[in-house]
Amino acid sequence: MNGWKRHLPAAVRITLGVIFIYAALLKIADPVAFAGSVAAYRVLPYFASYLTAAVLPFLELVCGLLLVCGYRVKGGALIIAGMNLVFIVALASAIVRGLDIDCGCFKQGGAKTSPWMALARDMVFLAMTVFVLKTSQIKTPHTDLTDVTDNVR
Amino acid sequence: MVRFWRDGYPRQLMLKKNLLGTLTEICLIVVVSAAAGIAWNRTLLTGAWRGELTQQAQAAPQGEELPMPIGLVQVKELHDSKQAVIVDARSAASFAQGHIAGALTLPLEELRKTGPVGLKAKVPTSATVIAYCNGFSCHDSMDLGKLLMQAGYASVYVFEGGYPEWRDAGYPTATGAL
Repeated sequence: MNGWKRHLPAAVRITLGVIFIYAALLKIADPVAFAGSVAAYRVLPYFASYLTAAVLPFLELVCGLLLVCGYRVKGGALIIAGMNLVFIVALASAIVRGLDIDCGCFKQGGAKTSPWMALARDMVFLAMTVFVLKTSQIKTPHTDLTDVTDNVR
Repeated sequence: MVRFWRDGYPRQLMLKKNLLGTLTEICLIVVVSAAAGIAWNRTLLTGAWRGELTQQAQAAPQGEELPMPIGLVQVKELHDSKQAVIVDARSAASFAQGHIAGALTLPLEELRKTGPVGLKAKVPTSATVIAYCNGFSCHDSMDLGKLLMQAGYASVYVFEGGYPEWRDAGYPTATGAL
């Protein structure tokens, strides 16, 4: 296998992890503004916007760290995939309802990112997550056991 | 032994075990993250639960003091009970075309030029002030809220839904300048 192909799964996993850590730290630094961004989607009630703003960045941070460290990758990647799906649904709903809002994905209150742009970006992140999940399954216990049984034969 | 593996039973068992393990892993990550997030933001969450102004500025004195966003229902309650002064951050022309009934006009541009002298004459700094503008895509209300906090107003909220959300909800509006 070529060198770059061998390192590609780790590179994608770490890149995705770093992106989520970066996004999380920006939100943790300004939870009130992030609560405003969540409220702008007009999906959650008042307090739920704050609860989401409090919890979601930490979930992103933990999952990002797990991906970077290569520890419990499957669990972390599945949660990231779930979060991306939720983001995609929320953004699509904002587009359908004609809401002209900032996606609130990274820096809060900075330059506005349109829902379309954010949607495309989340699709890329989702594809990266699927790639991480597929490549991380190579070393699952199930595969290892199959190898053992082959040896028994 | 070989037939045992070929029957597929242990493989299914392993798959079930893996699935259970992954689900446990996911639950653990979510619980740990939620606990960390709630603990880290406990003051903010308590404030939001009670509908109070966030104490975030006290917790992080070096950071910029930010007004707290407020929802339509809370704005309506404060409007009806006259417990808050509602301030319109849009231009005087937009205000004249339509505004929340009882709101005061304080265009952001004007405030930047002259400061909140006019507002201070009408509204004491101890009052609860709600700033609004043209909805979620408009940031003037947040900027106005920040300036009001810097001017000494302690209890400042930003109604991010703004005039469009208020009007669309069928709540009282008015036209013309004050």
